[in-house]
Amino acid sequence: MISANKLKTVLLFIFILMIEASAQTSAADQFNYAKKLFDEEKYFDAVTEFKRLLFFDKSDKYLFEANKFIGLSYKSGGKFSEALTYLTLTEINSKTKDDFFNSRIEIIKVNILRRTTSRALSLLDSLNNDYSFTDKKDEINYWLGWAYIFSDDWENASLSFSKINENHELKLLADSVSNELYNKTLAKILSVIIPGAGQIYTGEYFSGLLSFGWNVLWGYLTVQSFVDDRIFDGVMTGSFLWMRFYNGNLQNAEKFAEEKNLIVTNNALRYLQKEYSGNKP
Amino acid sequence: MRIDFKLVFFVLLFSITAFCQTEQLKWQKADISYEKENNFRHRDYSFQFNDAGEVVKKSLAMTYWFFISDVDGDNCPFRPSCSSFLIDAAKETNILQTSLMFFDRFTRDMNVFKRKNHYPRVKDGHYYDPPLNYTLSETKIQYIPASSVVKE
Amino acid sequence: MRKYFILLIILNSIIIAQQDSIDFRSPENIKKFGDYLFCQGDYLRAVEEYKSVQNILRNDTVNFKMMLCYSNLGLYETSNDLYKETSWVSPFHNDIELLKIKNKLLEMPRSIQVFYDVPMDSVFSIGISKLNMTSRLYGEDIRISKSQFLSPFDEKENKAAASLYDLKTNPPYKSPALAGIMSAIIPGTGKMYSGEWADGITSFIVTGLMAFLAYDNFHAGHNTRGWIFTTLGTFFYGGNVYGSIAAAQIFNAKINFDIQDGIKLFLDHNNYFLPDYDFCK
Repeated sequence: MISANKLKTVLLFIFILMIEASAQTSAADQFNYAKKLFDEEKYFDAVTEFKRLLFFDKSDKYLFEANKFIGLSYKSGGKFSEALTYLTLTEINSKTKDDFFNSRIEIIKVNILRRTTSRALSLLDSLNNDYSFTDKKDEINYWLGWAYIFSDDWENASLSFSKINENHELKLLADSVSNELYNKTLAKILSVIIPGAGQIYTGEYFSGLLSFGWNVLWGYLTVQSFVDDRIFDGVMTGSFLWMRFYNGNLQNAEKFAEEKNLIVTNNALRYLQKEYSGNKP
Repeated sequence: MRIDFKLVFFVLLFSITAFCQTEQLKWQKADISYEKENNFRHRDYSFQFNDAGEVVKKSLAMTYWFFISDVDGDNCPFRPSCSSFLIDAAKETNILQTSLMFFDRFTRDMNVFKRKNHYPRVKDGHYYDPPLNYTLSETKIQYIPASSVVKE
Repeated sequence: MRKYFILLIILNSIIIAQQDSIDFRSPENIKKFGDYLFCQGDYLRAVEEYKSVQNILRNDTVNFKMMLCYSNLGLYETSNDLYKETSWVSPFHNDIELLKIKNKLLEMPRSIQVFYDVPMDSVFSIGISKLNMTSRLYGEDIRISKSQFLSPFDEKENKAAASLYDLKTNPPYKSPALAGIMSAIIPGTGKMYSGEWADGITSFIVTGLMAFLAYDNFHAGHNTRGWIFTTLGTFFYGGNVYGSIAAAQIFNAKINFDIQDGIKLFLDHNNYFLPDYDFCK
C-alpha cells in the first residue's frame, strides 16, 4: 500500500510532465499552423513557420508539402526567383507522378508570370513529349495557351486552346485579339510607299496627314534645289529635313501600331486577370 | 521589488520602434498585374495658368511638339528631350543662360560617337542628361555613373 | 498497488507521446532556428527569432548577432541602439565598438574620430585606428601627413589606402575658367581638356561649319543667309564656351564621386576591419 505522501509526490510529478507535454508540438500541428497562416494570406509568416518545420523535422514527411507552400507563398509575394527555388525542391521531393506533374505546372506558372515564357514553353514541351503524361494533354495545352498569351503570340495561343476544344473560351478570346491587332510590318511598308499611310492605317489620321504634308514640302524643296542647280541647298534640305521627316514617318507608323496593339493586348490581359473564372497562373 | 519605470518605458519604446521597422520590411501579398508596362512617351499638354510667361512658353513648346517633334520621329538620344530640356532650363535660369544651355545640348546631340561611357541611362535606353547639371552651380550637379540606370 | 501501476502506465504514455513532438517554441530551439536563418543570410527572419528570446536567454552572442542582422538590413540606428543591452564584460564588447563605427559610416559617410578610455585588445584598437583614419577621407581636409595616415594599415591595405590619400589630397580637378578660356580661343578645346573629346571635336566642327557658311554666304552676296549663319554660329560658339565650363564642373563632380566610392569600396573590401566570425562554420 503506497503512502499518501508518496502518492502526492508522484501526482505532482505527473502534473509537471503534463505541463511540459502541452508545450510540445507535433510536426503535424506545426504544419497545420503554418498552413493556417498561408490560408490567411500571411505569406511572410507562413514561410517562416514552414522553414521552421523543415529545420526541426528530420523525417522526409513534410519535404514535399512544406517546400510547395513556401514556393507558393513566395509566388504570392511576387518573389518569383525564390518561388522557383522552392518549387524546384518540391519537384525533386515529389513521390508520385501526379505530384511531379503538379509541381512542374507550378514552376511553369511562375515562369509565365515573370514573363520568362521561353522557359515555360520549353518545360511544357518536355511534358508534352513525356509519354507518362499522355492523359494530361488538355492541361498541358491549356498552359501552353497561357504561355503563348504572355509572350504575345495570340495565334499560337488560339491553336493550343483549340486542341482542348474548338469553342474554348480562351480560343475565342485569342482569335478576337488576333483580329484586332495591327500588322507592324504592313504599317511600315505603307509608310515607305506613301509617307503617312502607315499612320492612317493605325487610326492616327492627323499625324498621318501632317507627316504626308511635311514630306511633300521638303521633298519638293529638295528636288527644286537640285533642279535649280543649288546642290548644297538640295543636300542640306534633303538630308537634314526631308530624311528626318521621312524616317520619323516610318518610326511613327511602327510606334503607333505597337502602341495600339499594347492597348488591345492589355485589355485582354486585364479581362483574364479580373473577370475570367478559369484557372490562372 | 521596485520597478524601474524608465527602463521599462525605454525597453517598451525600443521594442515598438524596432518592431515597426522590421514589420515594414516584411513583404506582403503582391498585386501582380498581367498587363505589360506602357513605356510609350505621353506628352504633358496640361497648362498651369498662374503665370502668363509660363503659358506663353508652354504654348510654344506644345506647338513645336504637335507640329514638328511628334512627326519627325525620336531623334534625341537624351532624356529629357531637347525641347523638354529647354523648358526645364528656362525654369531654372534666365533667357541667355537657357539659350546657351540649349545650344550646348544641341551640339552634344550632334555628337555621333558613343556616349555610353559618359551618360547614365533611363529605362527605355535613352541617355539621362538633366539641365540641373549645366546651370554652372556646382552644388546642383548630381553626378550619376555611366553604368547606372536612372528612374526618371 | 493498483493505483501505483495505473500511474506508471499514464507516465509511460506521456513519455511515449513526447517522442513524436518537438518544442518548436522553446527558447533554445528558437535560437537554433535563428542561427540557421542567420547563416542562410535571412537576416530579417533571424532577428525576429532572436528578438523573441532576447530577454529570456540574455545571451551576448544573440545580442551581437542581432546587431549584425540590423546592420545588414540597413537599420543602422537600431543596430547601434542594441549595444546598450550588452555589458562591458561581454566577449563581443570590442566587436560591438567596431560595428557601431561601421553603422555610423554606412548611415552617413563622415569623418568619425572615437577614442576609448577602457583598455582594448590590440587587434581591435588597430581596427578602430584603421576605421578612424579611413573615415578622415570623408572629411573636407585630412590635415595629417601621408606617413601618419598610412601608419595603422598593414601591407596588403597600404597600396589602396595610399592611392586614396593621394586622390583626396591632390584630386585631379579641372579648372572651369581655363576650360572656358580654351574654348573661347579654339572652340571645343575646353571640352577636350575636360575629357570630352568627342563633344569637343563636334563643337569645333559645328562652330567652324557655321563660321564657314556665314563667310561663304556673305562672300556670295547672300546677306540674309549670311546673317542667319552668323547668328547660329554665335550661339553655337557661346554654347561651346558655356558647355566647356559645365563639362569641367561635371568632371570635378565625377572626381568627388570616385573618391567617395573608392573609400566605400575600400571599407567594404576590408569588411570595415571587423574580424571574420565563425558563427556559420
